[in-house]
Amino acid sequence: MMMKINDLCVKIKDTDLEILKDFSLDIAPGEIHAIMGPNGAGKSTLSKTIMGHYKYEVTRGNIYFDGEDIKNLSVDERAKKGIFLCMQDPTVIEGVSNSEFLRTARGEIAGEKVNLYTFIKDMEGAMKKVQLDSSMLHRSLNFGFSGGEKKKNEILQMLFLRPKFIILDELDSGLDVDSLRVVCQNINEYLKENPQTSVLIITHYTRVLEYIKPDYVHILSNGKIQKTGSFELAFEIEKNGYSMIGNDINE
Amino acid sequence: MNKILYVLDDNKNNEYKYNIDEDTIIYHFSINSSSDIEININKENVTLYYYYANINYDDNLFKIRINHLASNTHSEVFNHGVNVYNKKLTYFVEGNVPKTSDKCICNQDNQIINMADGKSTICPNLLIDNYDVDSNHAAYIGSFKEDTLFYMMSRGISFDVASRLLLNGFLINSDSIDISKITKFLDEIEKI
Repeated sequence: MMMKINDLCVKIKDTDLEILKDFSLDIAPGEIHAIMGPNGAGKSTLSKTIMGHYKYEVTRGNIYFDGEDIKNLSVDERAKKGIFLCMQDPTVIEGVSNSEFLRTARGEIAGEKVNLYTFIKDMEGAMKKVQLDSSMLHRSLNFGFSGGEKKKNEILQMLFLRPKFIILDELDSGLDVDSLRVVCQNINEYLKENPQTSVLIITHYTRVLEYIKPDYVHILSNGKIQKTGSFELAFEIEKNGYSMIGNDINE
Repeated sequence: MNKILYVLDDNKNNEYKYNIDEDTIIYHFSINSSSDIEININKENVTLYYYYANINYDDNLFKIRINHLASNTHSEVFNHGVNVYNKKLTYFVEGNVPKTSDKCICNQDNQIINMADGKSTICPNLLIDNYDVDSNHAAYIGSFKEDTLFYMMSRGISFDVASRLLLNGFLINSDSIDISKITKFLDEIEKI
């Protein structure tokens, strides 16, 4: 398994509020999994916990990535192992340029300084692919970017950092149909070039799943997976709502 | 065309007085210094941008007064400081628009990053005696936001490197700064 999550319990740090309760999930190399669920089910908590967000505390269970328990690794160490979180609302960082940020990130992940010529050449190609204006490279990170531009910038980072496990947290929020198509096309091309890469899609709607077809769809509710099915399960949920889950637990 | 001034204070206490008659950008860099600045914007339709960046090691005081002495004048003041040790850093930032100056814009943005447990204070004052003025202030004292560090680290950047990138971006807070003119200040950032 590439990602193996065993009986994971997660609470918000310094509170008793438990969000994930005995959550388990296995993702093999090359697989695409989607997690759907009502508001407050724990979807974003899951994505941030995998990445090691400071706000959450794992109280029980393990997160194995490529056979190694990453629970106690720092955020950057997880990223260096190949985990990439495409964020729902990417952070704006004034004063740090996009190019400086990306070049530093690539250097940190590669463990060596990135040649400026190679960097510029790679960036030009990647920016054209995601349809971002090249002037954005020199602007502060996500500063003054539209919702669509921020998401495209996330995908630009993904293409550039070449992860092997991608978490897409509410990819379609803030994206118009054309931008969603561009973003998903780029992800699909990346997956085609890197067939061992796994994806975890966190979403409310089926819109993104029409572009990036999952192998499995899981319904998360009350902090654990309540039902697992194929691609069709997502459309069933969209049609009938989450009340159809009932007590039918099928993990 | 803007007039551009570069000022560097290095372990000194300095007083400055400027009379501004044309669009002006002032980049003021300060290493462990106290400064007292008075700026009069004397002519109509003149805009002032003031960028202050400060690295602080001891107790220091930064005072700046912007006086809008003509109508349709515009000031944008950005004060960014890093309080490195457990010392006092105080900003008094004053914008004055008298009754006789109409349709002015008078804005200020102040931020101090505490790197230890120093006592930092920002006193933003907007003394507006005219009804037709657009004026805003912002003040932030604290450390770099955890969400910002999380975002950077989620891309593989270590805490130390992320902090340094943030520090550079915070203190060199304008894209148009000619960094060849501030090499001493850049060297000082590296020492933090």
